[in-house]
Amino acid sequence: MKKRWWVLLTLAVAIVSLMFPAASVYVHRQLGEETAALFPQTVSIADIVFKGADSLPTDAVPALGVLQFIGIALIAGLILMALGAVAALTGGKGSGPVGISLSTLAVACLGAFALQVKNVCGSLLFTLLLSVKAWIYVPVAMAAVQVLLIALMMRGGRRLGWSDVNWRRLGGVLAIVAALLMLLPAHVITAPDTITDTPADAARITRTLSLLTEALGSEPNLSTIAREEGVFSQVLTGDLAALEPYSADGNNIRGVFMITTSTAGPNVMLLAGFALLVLCAVLAFIPKADRWFPLTFSTLAVIMIGASVIGVMSLSADDMFATASRQLGQLGLGVITPVPALTLVAALGAMLCGAMSVHYANEPYFVNPIPVRSRMRATALVLALAALVMAILPGATLSFYRPNQTRVQSTAAIGGPQALLFQTPDEALHPKTNRGADIYSDEAATGQYTASAVEEIVRGFSNSYSMMNWAAIVLIVAGAALLIARRSKKAVIAFLLGALLVRLVSWVTGSAQMPKDIALVSPTAFLYISLPLLTFSAFFANFADQEELPRKYKLFLMMLPFLLAVFLFSYLPLFGWSYAFYNYKFGLPMSQQEFVGFRWFTEMITNPGHRENIVRVLRNTFAMSGLNLATSWLPMVFAIFLNEISHTRFKKFVQIFTTLPNFISWALVFSFAMCLFSMETGIYTKFMMGIGAIDKPVAWLNSSSHIWLKMWAWNTWKGLGWGAIMYLAAIAGIDQELYEAARVDGAGRWMQMRYITLPGLLPTFFVLLMLSISNILNNGMEQYLVFQNSMNKTTIEVLDLYVYNITIAAKGDTLYSFATAIGILKTVVSVTLLFSANFASKKLRGESIV
Amino acid sequence: MIANQVKKHPKPHHQKLNKGDIAFNIVNYTVFLLITLACVFPFYYLFINTISSNELVSQGRIQLIPHQIHFENYVQVLKINGIFDALLVSVARTVLGTIWTVGGCAFLGYLVTKQEMWLRKLWYRLIVVTMYFSAGLIPWYLNLRNLGLVDNFWVYVIPGLVSPYNVILVKTFIEGLPGSLEESATLDGAGYTRVFVSVIFPLITPILATLCIFSAVGQWNSFTDTMMLMPSGNYYTLQYLLYKYQNEASSLAALVRTTQDSSAMANLATRQTSLSVQMTVAMVVTFPILLVYPFFQRYFVKGIMIGAVKG
Repeated sequence: MKKRWWVLLTLAVAIVSLMFPAASVYVHRQLGEETAALFPQTVSIADIVFKGADSLPTDAVPALGVLQFIGIALIAGLILMALGAVAALTGGKGSGPVGISLSTLAVACLGAFALQVKNVCGSLLFTLLLSVKAWIYVPVAMAAVQVLLIALMMRGGRRLGWSDVNWRRLGGVLAIVAALLMLLPAHVITAPDTITDTPADAARITRTLSLLTEALGSEPNLSTIAREEGVFSQVLTGDLAALEPYSADGNNIRGVFMITTSTAGPNVMLLAGFALLVLCAVLAFIPKADRWFPLTFSTLAVIMIGASVIGVMSLSADDMFATASRQLGQLGLGVITPVPALTLVAALGAMLCGAMSVHYANEPYFVNPIPVRSRMRATALVLALAALVMAILPGATLSFYRPNQTRVQSTAAIGGPQALLFQTPDEALHPKTNRGADIYSDEAATGQYTASAVEEIVRGFSNSYSMMNWAAIVLIVAGAALLIARRSKKAVIAFLLGALLVRLVSWVTGSAQMPKDIALVSPTAFLYISLPLLTFSAFFANFADQEELPRKYKLFLMMLPFLLAVFLFSYLPLFGWSYAFYNYKFGLPMSQQEFVGFRWFTEMITNPGHRENIVRVLRNTFAMSGLNLATSWLPMVFAIFLNEISHTRFKKFVQIFTTLPNFISWALVFSFAMCLFSMETGIYTKFMMGIGAIDKPVAWLNSSSHIWLKMWAWNTWKGLGWGAIMYLAAIAGIDQELYEAARVDGAGRWMQMRYITLPGLLPTFFVLLMLSISNILNNGMEQYLVFQNSMNKTTIEVLDLYVYNITIAAKGDTLYSFATAIGILKTVVSVTLLFSANFASKKLRGESIV
Repeated sequence: MIANQVKKHPKPHHQKLNKGDIAFNIVNYTVFLLITLACVFPFYYLFINTISSNELVSQGRIQLIPHQIHFENYVQVLKINGIFDALLVSVARTVLGTIWTVGGCAFLGYLVTKQEMWLRKLWYRLIVVTMYFSAGLIPWYLNLRNLGLVDNFWVYVIPGLVSPYNVILVKTFIEGLPGSLEESATLDGAGYTRVFVSVIFPLITPILATLCIFSAVGQWNSFTDTMMLMPSGNYYTLQYLLYKYQNEASSLAALVRTTQDSSAMANLATRQTSLSVQMTVAMVVTFPILLVYPFFQRYFVKGIMIGAVKG
């Protein structure tokens, strides 16, 4: 069958799939029998979209009315898909790329549709009402298949024969499409009048927002409306009884309404994205402009819009478009249309086309053709923009906790113009929950913090943040000025790095000075705007220049992000060793912790309770590590004997299946154990009773007998085949001539195994043995954690598990400092053992193992 | 003459089998067959228990052969609240985490081969030495908490950027490549990034494939990180749900009852029990590994052989 028929077939399948049941309906029992009777058992996509009001009783559950809006996405997606198919099948020049573009847009539309339906159906308000079936994903899958098919059609036979100019124009068109899409409705906000106080309120809330109005911040958002006009007074005043039928339990609703729907204020990233798209479109159609410009600007646009729409670059996504939209869906208050997804895809398309136009140009591949002067100016422009963004946008978010609670109750953004004037936003000074109560009022204060103390701490942070922000902006602007003046490139880069460093320092010191049980500082704008912008511009300015940074520093700069990661995740925790010398209480700043010196270390020996535990745990650790060490020759023997099997297929078969257990998690191993050794049903009990070895069922898992042996057995079951692989590799490396020589001398099979294979493997064995000796204290906790229960706890608890049990898993007293002290000793012992093993290895064999 | 013949046969053990050899072979083959069976049987046993009548299973009557085969367990399990989301989280962390780790280690592995880098040896040692110490559980946990990564999906992905062992593997592999290719690209005006993307990256795909598999399996299998780093219950993974179900059999049974529709409740054979749910979730977790395993088995072997060089 020709590929074109396949394309038509996928389209047909997508359309037919609309008729199949897309969701099953389960009516929550709180809604009552009568309401339940109104609902059909299943609904199809077509039902949802085309006759939502008839197929689903929206009178009973008004929020379901939202589903009808989503239909627009489906219809748009199907139309785009059909257009894509038509474009691909006309077979003209360039029909392939156009077909792919249209079909990809269709994927975005249909994907947004499916996810949105799932979002609404899984929403907290109607938990257990609807559950989505796989059919709902068929249209999007078909559209994806169509993209692939058209790509295959492009590959086979007809070459594309598109010039760079054509790619460039297509990129321009896509940029225009993306920019126009930003004018279309992105949010549809609606509210059922059961949640609002009056139908008039519901009407007041109903509105559509495009990405651009969102960006300009010209419309009040839901939380503002709710707070200022009190339209959700039932919810805000805590009268949740009326809402309870819609939720599995009232707590869900409480939880949902605590989330802010979106923070106010202009979204500069979206605005910048729009501007960049327009710029890209214009430049794409000016033949004289360099072809790198559309690529550059569309890439930046993708960064901006993507960061805003997906929230990819933020570590805390609390003021992001995506979060706000998801919450709208969950509340049944509205939907996102596929417009944001489409915008992003179109911008991505523009970027790809830009790359293609660069790729197909008949110029040397590796050389950046933009003259240095204009490149510097462009970079300076980008930098100035970055400084502007830093000045306008909030740069850090404070997440407040209620005293003695871990759940975030309120968030406040710090930064923007207020920060430049050294002012602190009121919501940061007096954090309120969404339901209005003050988190820190003087009555509600904990032992340490009164409301005024909180105010002081926050103000201190805010002031230091403002100072740092000024410093960063000044550094960036200076860097930009230096670029325009074409001063030394090194100086420019130094300025930019300085700005980055200042931001980093302001965040790190900020989180250090903020007590952890008051609030967390997260570097919002800093991460999702400054970092990509600065790295991008630094990279762009530095790319193939005459006046280059010496290569050794250039390499170091490339390495820097990795070193930072290593520092953050491997070295920074070492500062935590200081906890061992304090009586560490969770949440207090270090300055307020009680210093106790070496008390925890001496307590290990002097305090009888601790000593008893440590001795017991060490005994377990050494016993189980020891058993494994004592049998560490098993994999070697396994390999030697497996090597004696001459039937290759069988050998391979054994090897494949004996390594398999290594690749499953301990949780899964425990599932096996539970299934096999279950007291009532397991095959172990049945078998042993069958042969008469036991006369009544034995609790194999819930007992403390032979626990070390049992753990050793599971460990061996999991690791034996895997451990043998390394030895098999070593055997393959043994010189075959040795065996031949031995055979000529009359050595039999055993002699060869004993005098050739075994000695050949001993070096490997020795290295592994040394490594496992140095790891004797680190036998991990996963295995023992899953097998641990109240019956065997005393004999299964190894050091790592003990540390976990007395800290994170502990219900009452947590011995953070004590556990840290244990951790320190453990690391010291391990490192000492490792170096001793290494020293021994050097002495005995003349080579080191680390 | 004879010596020549011997050289033509690379498997010399076949030459002639005396009685001792035959006995040895019988014992050897039997033992390995038993070991293999012991490795495979739990998978099989769990599987037949999930597809057999749940009534028979709870009576302990499914031991070697499945009876009254049905797939209702799987259908019902996917309907349990949270399972689908957990599946998404598991897949997302596996895909993103693998790309992030392997991409990072590949590029870093390339960078540390560059002799001309400023203080290269120092940086390299600083990275490698992190293999041999750890700060311990509490400092690790509090560090991630201070970084705002607790209760955050990205904690699954971001900290994995640099894995010293992988960096060593990539570095060793790159050092084994002929340097001339890189030189000629550099002469054509390619910068470091360009050389990495167009020259080095295609050449190191074998080792990257191995790293991908290891990293993906590790990501898919890990559950203790979810246990410690997700206190408020967001971003649970499938593995963690499995672990949780094992520990909370009673609440699981209640959950099962509310999820099930009445028609399924009536039928004892397909009625969900907490045991059936645990076993089915375990199978759902296993399937992806069983699916990819046969295709990638050779990469495991290759990977550990490269690893053996450095120990």
